[in-house]
Amino acid sequence: METGFLQEQRTLEGDLNSKTSHKNSVDYLMNWFRSRSIFVLAYGTGCGAIEMPPTFTSRYDAERLGIRGAATPRQADVIIVSGYCSYKTLRRIIRTYEQMSNPKYLLALGSCTINGGMYWDSYNTIKKLEDYLPVDMYVSGCMPRPESILEGFIALQKDISNGKASSWQKYEDNYEFYRKNQEAVLGKTVEPSYEADWYLYDGGL
Amino acid sequence: MFNEIKNQFATNDVIIKRDDLYKVSVNYERVFSLIDFVGDSYNYKTLNAITCTDWIEDNHFAITYMLTTIDRRSTFMIQTMVSRENTKIKSLSQKFKQAEIMERDLAEMYGIDFVGNKNLKELSLENWVHTPPLRREFDTLEFVNNHLTFREGRDDNVDTKVEAKRLRAIKKAEKEALKKAKEEAEAKKIQEENQDGK
Repeated sequence: METGFLQEQRTLEGDLNSKTSHKNSVDYLMNWFRSRSIFVLAYGTGCGAIEMPPTFTSRYDAERLGIRGAATPRQADVIIVSGYCSYKTLRRIIRTYEQMSNPKYLLALGSCTINGGMYWDSYNTIKKLEDYLPVDMYVSGCMPRPESILEGFIALQKDISNGKASSWQKYEDNYEFYRKNQEAVLGKTVEPSYEADWYLYDGGL
Repeated sequence: MFNEIKNQFATNDVIIKRDDLYKVSVNYERVFSLIDFVGDSYNYKTLNAITCTDWIEDNHFAITYMLTTIDRRSTFMIQTMVSRENTKIKSLSQKFKQAEIMERDLAEMYGIDFVGNKNLKELSLENWVHTPPLRREFDTLEFVNNHLTFREGRDDNVDTKVEAKRLRAIKKAEKEALKKAKEEAEAKKIQEENQDGK
């Protein structure tokens, strides 16, 4: 009989290995690999970003489940939108998301991404993230504790290993829909410009 | 100090809010010379903040410059009223470098034009084409309802007040039914006893 975190991990991973409808064994294997090595982009928006360091460090230790950080969008599998998205942030999230390579997954934390949360009447905060980017998994809470984030990751892993998590496919198929919604709030130029004024202005720093 | 300011800058509106916090209201034309004056003569050499209050009823903005002495022990507020429409104010960014970003903030949030500020770009609202959001004619709720989509509530979502009323009515009905049943039972009992007695 296992105790402590071994048992916890057994419980969490419980039916990760359950038999599901895969097309073939290569598919099964690929999904198995993907679900067991999730690289999370080191990026946080809003207050939820503060829950991510404990999730990834020794107390909750997400790496025991194969979840670890990645430095750049091109190396990452998962982007976490960890709180409210103002228009300015949304531009950066869209660019970052589009820079990531397939397969990519989006995990949204907190009530702000679900329905606006406490920013429901804010003029520069979006209310529903899935209108602008495809969301694989929502984790509710204000803010979700690291336990909830881990639960969300496990649910995402289950979806990946079952071959259900395919939001990037959805984004490619319905690109016009997402682009239309993005332009509705951000204007015709959705992506942010690369120039930052503080080092260009007045001779630089 | 205050008599000097009152005489030189034609104002009677001097308020001593605290031992270390003073406020003077002057005409717009005299603001910048007053800033120079208190800086040179009384050591208020640091610009802490530029703030703006929207008095939509009186149709003006109250712009306040907050200056602090070098030893940080005393603050001097200089307030002036400017028109709300097509507001143009001389920039302080030549004298105080930090004024640049404060003016940028006000330009973005109130639509005030600071003449002489070279970098009056938007600070956090990019490509904003609507009314500047901190002006009081900007109706936040209306804007949100027009421009953003909300998630619809759940199907089983109920109005809590209505639901509480309904539950209370059910509880009351149950209570009355119970009471009635009890009374009936007692009446029956009495009847039976009377019958037994006969």
